[in-house]
Amino acid sequence: MTRILNIELRRSAALGTALILFVTGVLLLATDRAIFTTGWIQLAMTQRLYLAVLWPLALAAGAWQASREHRSKVAELFASTPRPQAHRVLPTLIAMAVAVLSGYLTMGIAGGLWIIGTAEYLPVAAFAVTAVGVLALIAAVWFGLAIGRLLPWRVTAPALGIAGMGLLLLIPGATRPHGWLALVFSPIYEMNMPGAYAAVPGRASIAQTLWLAALAVTALVLLASSGWRTRMAALLPVALGAALAITVMPHQNRFVNDAIDPVARELTCTEDAPRVCVSRIHSGLLTEVTAPAREGLAVLAKLPNAPTTVHEDTTIYFPDSYPPRRADTVLLDVETGDDAHLADRTDVWMKVVAGAFASPPDCEMSVDPADRIAAAHWLIGSEPAKASEDFEPEDSERAVQLWNDLRRLPADKAKARVVALRQAAVNCTADIGLFSKSTP
Amino acid sequence: MRTVSAAETAPTTYPWAIHAEGLRVRAGRHLAIDGLDLAMGIGVHGLLGPNGAGKTTLMRSLATVLKPADGRLTLLGESVDGRADLRKVRRRLGYLPQQFGFYPRFTVREFVEYMAWLKEMPKTAVPGAAQRAIERVGLAAKAEARMKTLSGGMLRRAGIAQAIVNDPAVLLLDEPTVGLDPEQRLDFRGLLRDMGVDSCVLVSTHLVEDVVAACTDVVMVNEGRLVYQGTPDGLVAQGGEGDPGDSPAERGYSALLRHYRAGAGK
Amino acid sequence: MRWLTLYLRSRRVPIALATAGGCTALMWSLWSAFSDDRTVAIPMVVLTLLLMTAALTATLSGPDDALDKTAAFSWLPRRIAHLLAAFLIVTVVLLATRATGARFGPAWLVLRDAAGLLGLTALCAATMGTARAWFLPLGWTLVAIITPLPDRLAGRVLTWQAQAPDNTAAAMTAVLLAFGGLIAYAVAGPARSAPAEAAQH
Repeated sequence: MTRILNIELRRSAALGTALILFVTGVLLLATDRAIFTTGWIQLAMTQRLYLAVLWPLALAAGAWQASREHRSKVAELFASTPRPQAHRVLPTLIAMAVAVLSGYLTMGIAGGLWIIGTAEYLPVAAFAVTAVGVLALIAAVWFGLAIGRLLPWRVTAPALGIAGMGLLLLIPGATRPHGWLALVFSPIYEMNMPGAYAAVPGRASIAQTLWLAALAVTALVLLASSGWRTRMAALLPVALGAALAITVMPHQNRFVNDAIDPVARELTCTEDAPRVCVSRIHSGLLTEVTAPAREGLAVLAKLPNAPTTVHEDTTIYFPDSYPPRRADTVLLDVETGDDAHLADRTDVWMKVVAGAFASPPDCEMSVDPADRIAAAHWLIGSEPAKASEDFEPEDSERAVQLWNDLRRLPADKAKARVVALRQAAVNCTADIGLFSKSTP
Repeated sequence: MRTVSAAETAPTTYPWAIHAEGLRVRAGRHLAIDGLDLAMGIGVHGLLGPNGAGKTTLMRSLATVLKPADGRLTLLGESVDGRADLRKVRRRLGYLPQQFGFYPRFTVREFVEYMAWLKEMPKTAVPGAAQRAIERVGLAAKAEARMKTLSGGMLRRAGIAQAIVNDPAVLLLDEPTVGLDPEQRLDFRGLLRDMGVDSCVLVSTHLVEDVVAACTDVVMVNEGRLVYQGTPDGLVAQGGEGDPGDSPAERGYSALLRHYRAGAGK
Repeated sequence: MRWLTLYLRSRRVPIALATAGGCTALMWSLWSAFSDDRTVAIPMVVLTLLLMTAALTATLSGPDDALDKTAAFSWLPRRIAHLLAAFLIVTVVLLATRATGARFGPAWLVLRDAAGLLGLTALCAATMGTARAWFLPLGWTLVAIITPLPDRLAGRVLTWQAQAPDNTAAAMTAVLLAFGGLIAYAVAGPARSAPAEAAQH
């Protein structure tokens, strides 16, 4: 059978399908790189998101391949051969499955090459997410083959593709308010814009695998069947798979969106002092963060009780979870940019300095951003930028004003105010601005 | 040259390779074969008859593509008219339909190997058998060419190659010489004689000269019934000077038809 | 009139029209049944347009294009009329839904996307043959629906199907595709398909 499989791999729609899936996938990844550059699990989830296009294309490819027998008018010749329909279609099945597998994996490799420099944390869930994606595509192409054989018209392939996308787009609306149902049946649900500590629980992947495997088995039954009685039997795996998947999936909405990977959130630090720590998901960026962070700490050394370490801000919201408060630590937002390296590289040291005056995230009364910017720039000794990506325009404007006011004061008085602001931030008593209460 | 299995050299237990008794087959709603009695053994049999006589329907039912509506049909000693398992018979069958469908992107070799696989030939025998079949029909130079690049005659020869790849005991060829030039037709007659030595070959054609030259037996059907079965010399003997035709065989053919139609009109 | 009837039958137009109409009716019923909103979501509108275009793609060539090419008259005005008729049918059917309970998209969106998609299909039919003419419109439109890029000019041109109706870059792209396809298909006709007919005699 390997000879025949080789023939089918070369002469069927397999090569074209793999190529189209690869090119389309890479184009989709290229449209917005920031979504997946954080790490491997984010890449896997974004690939799954783009199944919104690849899944319909796989359906259409299967239907297109199935129409070959009809277009070539080989029915009479093949009817005189002994090999049963189920055996006969086996090489095509394997060839198309290999095609979608290669297309999807090479798309992943292309994305992986982009992030391989800085993405170090590789959880097992990334493999599970990718495997479910591959299974979804295999089920789609086999289902396309089955439908294409049943309805050998020219319009079947494009119509099936369009119906596939329509289905994917409509599943969330149709299953509202049961978001978990959409998670069972749609391979793209809750894969959108994964956060830094995103996780996909194993139970979700298992439930999705059960459903997709049932879909693949249904396609096989349809392909091997000849009469309408055997075709009706194809309803059995579908129903069974749906029932099993619904049982396994936890009946809670936002199951994947709310899932957090605690290991990804753990801090990894530099060996030497002053210590700079980032979460494990960003561990590839540690070297890039360290130098500017230490520059910022050097500027802050002028303060009494100056902070000595910089930690990444691993706060998450919904459900809220905050890193422990420490007076000697500056919290810094670390993000991966479009190019898979640290975002805002040039501004990091300035953000560290401004971060010394920021209240802890769980503080109810936080320091006004304008005060923070003004105080930071007073320490640095240069004018705040009129507009900045990290702050609102009105805060930046007021910061310039406040900075000018600070400069008009004598040096020791200004320093006292800045120190007081720092105390307020550390102690979470920030109804005191730089100029709201007169301080000695 | 190839190894021959014990099963192939064992004596046959059936009298006729193809045996039909009172066969009735429908083509659509029309009863194309209406009470046909036929017995054919080893040799090359030519199937003649006017258009609409049921030749293609007969070929299809012998190839087990169509199921008979009534009557008995036995191929190689196995009954093929009921819900029997046809796989055993189909392994020893070779069929070239009138409308030869093929996969255009396959090369000739790939298509012949694919058909060999469909006929459940043993895996190790497939490449050698395909090469032999391609050489026997004279397509060795075009073996790696895609089927969509072949001309009509070469395509027909590729069809003959896939029909003979498994050395069938029953070979059914429906209009095999369409598109062949005269030299290729001569080669084809040689191939038929070779095949007819140890298998039952049934060739359906309109070219009376091919029948006379290559066949050991002539079968003529009209309106779904058997009109004549005998040697080509017998066919020639049926005709005389007054019958239409440019050759003795054609005159015999016209004479038979005239007799049949006169007899049916009574 | 006789010629028109035979021509429509040779291109299997009645079946194509029934398919296109049926698909639109299906989308319309699904939306009416499952959604309370009177206006159909833009992705659904674009998908319906794509579906109708795909159903009409098969009519762009007949069973034997080589035979058609031997005609004594010029095919150019007839092909133009064919494409224009297709455009009219698609747009009239969808715009007629604006009087019903499920209204398909802004009118300019329907007109722009119908013209652009039909033109792209005709262009692909003239270069790749009718059997594969739906590949590029399907793939391109699916990508455009999922990642509309409204920020930059290049993004608006590349995902023109999903842009807002008043967007000039998208409109220009659609017009370019429409006229390019119209001219290419009218002048060259559908590309020759593989001669599998060589065996059928």
